[in-house]
Amino acid sequence: MFLFEVILNALVLGGMYALVALGLNLQFGVARMMNLSYGEFFMAGAFAAFWTVMLWKLDPLLAMLASVPVSFVANWLIYRFLLLRLIRRSPDQDALDADVILVTFGLLFVFQGLAIVNWGGEYRGYTFLAVPVKILGAEVALNRLLAFLAACGLAAVLFVILGLTRTGAALRAMAIDPVAARLVGVDVLKLSAIAFAAGGALAAIAGTLVSTFISFSASIGVVYTLKALIVIIMGGVGRMMGCLAAGLLLGLAESLGGYLTDPGLTLAINFALFLIVLLVRPTGLFSRG
Amino acid sequence: MDRRTFLKTGGAAAIGVTARPGRARGQAAPSAIRIGYAISLSGPFAPGAQSTSWSQYKLWAKDVNDAGGIHLKKYERKIPVELIEYDDRSQPDEVIRLVERLILQDKVDFILPPWGTHMNLAIAPVINKYEYPVIFFTATALRIRELAKRWPYAFFPLAQPDDSAAPLGTMLASLKSQGKIKGRVAAVHVAEQTGVELHSSFVEACKKNGIEVAYSKSYPLGVSDLSPVIREAMQTQPDGFFAFSYPTDTFMLAEQSSILGFNPAIYYSAVGTPFPAFKAKLGDKVNGVLLWGGLDHKAAGLAEYRQRHRAMYNRETESGAVGMYATVQVLQQAIERVGEIDRKKIRTEIATGSFPTIFGTLKFKDQLLIDPWTVGQWQNGEVVGVYPAQKPNAQALLFPKPKW
Repeated sequence: MFLFEVILNALVLGGMYALVALGLNLQFGVARMMNLSYGEFFMAGAFAAFWTVMLWKLDPLLAMLASVPVSFVANWLIYRFLLLRLIRRSPDQDALDADVILVTFGLLFVFQGLAIVNWGGEYRGYTFLAVPVKILGAEVALNRLLAFLAACGLAAVLFVILGLTRTGAALRAMAIDPVAARLVGVDVLKLSAIAFAAGGALAAIAGTLVSTFISFSASIGVVYTLKALIVIIMGGVGRMMGCLAAGLLLGLAESLGGYLTDPGLTLAINFALFLIVLLVRPTGLFSRG
Repeated sequence: MDRRTFLKTGGAAAIGVTARPGRARGQAAPSAIRIGYAISLSGPFAPGAQSTSWSQYKLWAKDVNDAGGIHLKKYERKIPVELIEYDDRSQPDEVIRLVERLILQDKVDFILPPWGTHMNLAIAPVINKYEYPVIFFTATALRIRELAKRWPYAFFPLAQPDDSAAPLGTMLASLKSQGKIKGRVAAVHVAEQTGVELHSSFVEACKKNGIEVAYSKSYPLGVSDLSPVIREAMQTQPDGFFAFSYPTDTFMLAEQSSILGFNPAIYYSAVGTPFPAFKAKLGDKVNGVLLWGGLDHKAAGLAEYRQRHRAMYNRETESGAVGMYATVQVLQQAIERVGEIDRKKIRTEIATGSFPTIFGTLKFKDQLLIDPWTVGQWQNGEVVGVYPAQKPNAQALLFPKPKW
């Protein structure tokens, strides 16, 4: 019974990892932009939720009504006016990748700096749905369960859009080969911008949901960008269900692995798993190869 | 005597008569007292550094300058304070480089400490070499007593790990002898130096007091789910749960304990427990939680300071920040007592003097604070001091902790 509870909590934790990674999966996997400032929008989503609770005494989920569109637009603007410029002038893919990483790295510091100066660097937290839910005799925190369900739901929606709609087919084509996609009439730049913006919107959703159970500060962006990157590389860049599976696997490795061995090894097991995947199947568990 | 000689000797005599020695007339008063610091404005230590240290330096400078400045007897006037700051980006090698720059290039008059034990210990040799007295508030480590002997200019006001854990052992022994607890505890710690040292000191204190440590584990910093650890601790049915933790695991442990219904009679967590973010997570459930440190919640000047803090930052302060502010008050009072920028004399004053501050009266012996607060508790929605029990306004232990 106890073991079942640990497994259940591990899966719920994994859901959180997947949720954090889905947006970057869109930005890196579909729009093909490695956005190192991704975590800053996660952080902004967390702050929006915090203020909604603290200043207006409302449900933190309502913050998404504002933070999601704002993050969508901000990321669209970044793509349209910053990244597009890089695309147009880059001689090849490698130069473009390097440029994008450097530029978004700079953006990371700009956003983080602005956040620290304007909002202060100290820890913020609030309580929301911090109650237990009994599932088949095991207890799970409701706020974490919500993040897990959101991860599954969003991954499924994205999977359906990408796999079963015409736009999705265009997006997938674009992710595989932008030049060929343009040749068959796909408006690559417009769709990439939308995919990139949607990734930013997902970052804000993740930030809102995770902030309900993990305290945060203006400096956490980098940590979550790194977590997201590990998940998407493990799952196969661009694969939505792969991202979900990788997240769940990491959650299991961390919590269950830590429980079976020693809590001190939780993060070590995580990274060891990541290393093994990179060695055995470097393109990711669910990649096309 | 010809005219030239007369003018020369007469002129020299005239200057000799009008010049007044002893009043340092030739040296004009400095336009500002320049105080420098390198602190973590970015990177993983930024939240702690901002909350406990940086915010206090800014607030103190504003308070001092609003009153006109620090009074220097030598110039018979108040001199305003000027802060020079650098971001050490949470890197120890950066902080060393920046403090050297502050001393050698910016030629500041005083140095304020960075945040975190290892950052403080990194620059202690530097400030000692250049003879700048510094009160390292956020430093605690078992070897500090030895190191302090090497660095006469370094002062350490925080309770060291063994002193912090000892009262917990005697508290448990006392409760056990009164029949209020069985004498079994669970202890966890974050795998960082402070967590490790507090934990090992606690385990020793328990051994000395006949308390059984039924569960003893560590977890890495940055772990996202501690419910398995809490469940395992719960299985041992302990009277007390002691977490030598850092934010954010401090906040996470409390929330997850409350969700899982883990209600030991004694609940203790370490760094971050006095923070407003902890109270925000728990609301009324915060009462009864024991913490590392504590303060005299009725100290003179504390209420006014809290108002000024709220006015400047739009949030509440926390006991660590109060202590930090008080150590800068000590520096200010030492400067005023010496009356001039003489760092050697100021160092002697800090080492020997007694200083009334918003954190109580502070006095050092062998560069360590005499009788620092070791254990505090949330009571009636605010942090109070519990041990040492003989300190002013120490409150009785609230036992058992009310259920979450």
